[in-house]
Amino acid sequence: MTKIVVLGAGISGHTAASHLRRKLSKKHEVLVVSPNSNYQWIPSNIWVGIGRMNREDTVFPLEPLYKRKGIGFIQAKVVTFHPEGDSDEEMPFVMVEYTSGDKKGRQGKVTYDFLINATGPKLAFDMTEGLLPGTNKAYSVCTYDHAEHAWAGLKALIEKLKSSDERAKILIGTGHPKATCQGAAFEYILNVEKELVRYGVRNKVDITWLSNEYLLGDFGMDGMLLTYGKEVMKSSEMVEMVFTDRNIRWIAGAGITKVEEGKAHYENLAGEYKTEEFDFAMLIPAFSGHGFKAYDKGNKDITEKLFKGFMVVDADYTPRPYEEWTVQDWPETYQNPSYPNIFAPGIAFAPPHSISKPRKSKNGTDIFPSPPRTGMPSGITAKLVADNIIDSVKHGKISLHHKGSMGNMGAACIASAGYGAFQGNGISMTTFPIVPDYKKYSKTGGRDIQKTFGDIGLAGHWVKLSLHYAFLYKAKMKPFWWLIPE
Amino acid sequence: MTHLISKAEKAKMQNPFIQFFKFVWLNIKIIGIVGHGHGGTRK
Repeated sequence: MTKIVVLGAGISGHTAASHLRRKLSKKHEVLVVSPNSNYQWIPSNIWVGIGRMNREDTVFPLEPLYKRKGIGFIQAKVVTFHPEGDSDEEMPFVMVEYTSGDKKGRQGKVTYDFLINATGPKLAFDMTEGLLPGTNKAYSVCTYDHAEHAWAGLKALIEKLKSSDERAKILIGTGHPKATCQGAAFEYILNVEKELVRYGVRNKVDITWLSNEYLLGDFGMDGMLLTYGKEVMKSSEMVEMVFTDRNIRWIAGAGITKVEEGKAHYENLAGEYKTEEFDFAMLIPAFSGHGFKAYDKGNKDITEKLFKGFMVVDADYTPRPYEEWTVQDWPETYQNPSYPNIFAPGIAFAPPHSISKPRKSKNGTDIFPSPPRTGMPSGITAKLVADNIIDSVKHGKISLHHKGSMGNMGAACIASAGYGAFQGNGISMTTFPIVPDYKKYSKTGGRDIQKTFGDIGLAGHWVKLSLHYAFLYKAKMKPFWWLIPE
Repeated sequence: MTHLISKAEKAKMQNPFIQFFKFVWLNIKIIGIVGHGHGGTRK
């Protein structure tokens, strides 16, 4: 019997657990450890944040599903890693702290044969002074709680504008000089704009996009050259076209360093310190590792073997200048090099470097996006890790047959640009590969131009809505769920 | 110079009939790109 422990039940962790359970016989144990009782389909949080969906539409409780499917579940958060066991325990284990029930606050050892670390990111609001959702008119949509809170703040502003002649300022973007997930903020700003039109208050609101991207449409992927209809255009031009059409002002190359009541202080790449005022803001925080510690059998600190902020995997972490980065730097199997039974798919793995070109302000502050690993790459990397573990269990030795580098993987970003069956809008973009391969596709910005395209229209909204229902169906492991690709 | 979305383009973007076919085309195209498989980059 083999025991596989999955830390985290987000897109990555839940995908891995589902595939492991489907393909391994019941004599093997699959155990999920997550501090949250619910699964949440995070991409739809932007619709919770504009009041078009309720949290119930985007979440479901994990425990009943896992009970039905034969997946073990412990509601707890991991505290420390012990990949060699300790003086009392021969097996490798993680120390966890229970987050609910009778055992709440107590710690316990969870042993494993294979470990999948899918703990995702820590939403590091503390890395930006004053950035704490809902405390100073600045909100987040990173969790369903945050998104609900954001809608309450936006709704109050809309009501105020409807009943007065006042004007207002809305600021949406990234809340830290090295934040990632620009896509979520991009979706939110377009949805907010559309809702303001629907409520008849758009003419009273100045909307501003503020981001750490050097150019619009970077999305943490160094931007892209894409086909749009019969044209070939840069993603920066496409986003600029949309913002101009929606009368959205933008500030690029800006890193927010401090947030106060209705004020965001930022530094730009020119080294200027500026302030942007707002009546409502949604700012994506920095993502960081969880600060986990690891110990060997003798209780010696071996954290550096497992973590560089996020978990160390089979990437090439040798520091090199941007011009020397290659797709080969990126991991293929997400296996920890020191402990071959530990894997880290999704956001939990430490990237070798950013994808976007690193830039510093004239004062030396790093202002550029961190690499995105959310959504589709999370699911794909989780599935290939699960497949490698399944092969390893079946063959009795470590198998790494399944590979999936972000330098050889396509992704689709279906960005909602407004909600509504016939009034909705979406910006559909695909890119191949996610990490640009400037050698292979030297003439097209590192991407296969046949597979990197953009499209705008109502159909994009329908696609995004279809994905919402399809992926929740899949996550609930309903009949033939596994036929739906990650 | 910034590209602008013309009124004719906007009408097409919101036309449910045209967009239905676009929806089918998008799904096929997206699955073709992201579902086509993936692999390593090293020898």
